Amino acid sequence: MTPLATPWEILSVCLLIFAAPTVAVLHRPAWWLLAGMGGAMTLSLALGDPVVAYLVAAGGALLHAVHAWRWSRTGAVTLAVAGLVTAAAAWALASGRAADAFLISTAAIALRTGLPPLHGGVASLCERAPAVQTQQMSSAIALVFLHLRYVDHAPEVAVFAPWLIGYGAVACLLAALMTTAQRDLRGFYRGTTTMHGGMLLAAIGAAAVGNFAAALLVAVTIGLALGGLGMMITSLEERTGPARYAGPGGRAAAFPVLAACFAFFGGAGVGLPGTAGFVADDLLLHTLWLELPAATVAVILASALVAVATLVGFARTFLGPATLSLAPDLALRERAVAVLLLAVLVGLGLVPGALLEPADLLLGTPEPTN
Amino acid sequence: MTLTHAVVALAVLPPILAALAVFVRLVLGDGRPSESTVARVIGGGLALSIVGDLGVLARFTGLAGPPLTGDLEFGDWLRLGDFVIPAVVRLDVVSVSLALFSSVLTALIARFSRTYLHKEPGYIRFFALLGVFATGTQLIALAAGLELFFAGWELIGLASAFFIGFFHEREEPIRSSIRAFATYRLADAGLLIATVATFALLGSARFSALDRAATLPPGEATLLALLFLLSAMGKSAQLPFSGWLPRAMEGPTPSSALFYGAVSIHAGLFLVLRVWPVFAASPLACAVGVAVGLTTALYATTVARVHTDAKGALAHATLAQVGLILAEICLGWTTLALVHLVCHASLRLGQYLKAPNMIHDAHRVGHAHPHDGWLARRAPRAAARVYAMALHRGRLDDRIDALFAPVLALARTLDRGDRWLRRTFSLEAPE
Repeated sequence: MTPLATPWEILSVCLLIFAAPTVAVLHRPAWWLLAGMGGAMTLSLALGDPVVAYLVAAGGALLHAVHAWRWSRTGAVTLAVAGLVTAAAAWALASGRAADAFLISTAAIALRTGLPPLHGGVASLCERAPAVQTQQMSSAIALVFLHLRYVDHAPEVAVFAPWLIGYGAVACLLAALMTTAQRDLRGFYRGTTTMHGGMLLAAIGAAAVGNFAAALLVAVTIGLALGGLGMMITSLEERTGPARYAGPGGRAAAFPVLAACFAFFGGAGVGLPGTAGFVADDLLLHTLWLELPAATVAVILASALVAVATLVGFARTFLGPATLSLAPDLALRERAVAVLLLAVLVGLGLVPGALLEPADLLLGTPEPTN
Repeated sequence: MTLTHAVVALAVLPPILAALAVFVRLVLGDGRPSESTVARVIGGGLALSIVGDLGVLARFTGLAGPPLTGDLEFGDWLRLGDFVIPAVVRLDVVSVSLALFSSVLTALIARFSRTYLHKEPGYIRFFALLGVFATGTQLIALAAGLELFFAGWELIGLASAFFIGFFHEREEPIRSSIRAFATYRLADAGLLIATVATFALLGSARFSALDRAATLPPGEATLLALLFLLSAMGKSAQLPFSGWLPRAMEGPTPSSALFYGAVSIHAGLFLVLRVWPVFAASPLACAVGVAVGLTTALYATTVARVHTDAKGALAHATLAQVGLILAEICLGWTTLALVHLVCHASLRLGQYLKAPNMIHDAHRVGHAHPHDGWLARRAPRAAARVYAMALHRGRLDDRIDALFAPVLALARTLDRGDRWLRRTFSLEAPE
């Protein structure tokens, strides 16, 4: 074991995203499952040994798979496969094969974040249980951190950078295009999650040549913004049923707070100034430009398309002639969670260094591998 | 932090903090805040912004201490190794005057709207968006770097889209809002790419770094300038992006006055003024800018003459002047353009606010009978064609829709393929 400073900032954000759906949406799994998932995430971040950390993360993914089974079998199987792939990354690390560990770990992240064409499981979770998807995203962020901390430093991985950036950018653009064709809120959520999966892969590609901060901030922003969005969608559907785009929705009159929070989370996901999304996008674009300028253009266009799709989703769900509803607006616990997530998004948007500077310091120092 | 830093912060932050306070009160409070509370909170933020701008003016002119010009550092927004996003503002004649001008206009509009929008269902939304807009304009005016400028640019675009869809009980404002936002975001891609490219080519995205644009190879300078121009064309509704402007008149009159008469429509021109050294290094981009400006002016003046609604006619009249100002800037007459911009913004603000009265006046006084112009006398067929083109506004929206139709078709095909794939490999029990 190597004694290491625990990345408290990352751990806090991950635990916040993990706890948010449990408090807000009341999809509470058995206590042992909850403790297992949260504990695995905490341990994987805190442990100083790369192999053990990866193994614990793999165990966490398997627990998430057990949790997800009730809502989505495809999602559960994908998470289980992701867990096995994470364990394989631990094995590659243990045997000192840095390039293999890098590729396997990237594949695990791709499975967890819904990168096309491996997005079937995450897409199913987005459609069937956005809150469960939010919860599993929290430990996916932890996995990204492990990746940046332990497998991204080897010199031989730099050769993969242009390929990952190119693939991520193309996936991002195609997913953004698909998002514009959606006709219901779940489809929109699936599309935007897939698009951000592509964005994250491009960021991880850029991290392979030493630009860690962009990947980390992109992952955290995805967790916070899409996690919040997922919870708002769950809250809305619990009140009104599935939200289709068949004409104006008119739900803003009945659920003004929900509408406002939805708009804020949606905006943060596409780089609303003043939120972490803005800084994450800016940082990512600068980083990508150094490696592959065409990828920068693709990501910018993808972000623009998803921004328009977000406005369309908001308009079709909340705007239009007011529809009556007996269901109440967001409950206090839902509001409290939403405000907390939004506060973190705004805080990181205004003072991104609070998260990035200590993390960059930690990540900038290569860890000794077994 | 010095007193100067404090007054700059006072100019920029209070409006958006007031909007945020209204948002938090709405989310965590019991019931909606009253109209007077919202108007007071946002109005207070706007008043503080004016005080801050007056303080900045006093420091700039030397009324309070020695005159202060140039870049004012607030430290780094983000610093990671060599990569720095600076938090820095620029104090010069253009920035200080424009910041004060826009904060005063916004406060005036807020005061006007307190009574104009009384009892409107979207009252709270309107004032919260006004706060967001005010901070956006302050950022645009005072920013010394492209990142901060882009943040303000985006805030203005967002507020604009929500203002256009203000009366969302009807379908048309929603559609118009989405179209305007889509135009903004796609054109903003130009500014974002230019920002990243500027950083890579010149080592910094500060406006002061653009003075080195003359050292760039002509191709790179031209590309940069054209990207900036693309973004300016989207924001200032220049051809071929003019289609969203008449649709934007769906919004409430005070926001139309502020956005499409006074401030937002001129933001694109301000961008070109700010990055002028890049244009100065590229005669080709200047020529394109002149051509775009003059063509837009010609188009807009033709359409304005046949418009039968007051706000639509005003929108095109505004557009004609904006086109001319763009041409002036690209010809290098930047001082003339700045004077033209400020005078035009003031005039249009008044005209837009008076638009409902204009309709009343027209009913009372009656319409003036139009006389045949020289074109109608000399070439009646050509005049008829121009008249028809003006009536349907050159079918701009249809042409843009046709341009994007293949992209949307591709999106639908991709989505169908994706659904088929996921259905094929799905493990879910059939519903």
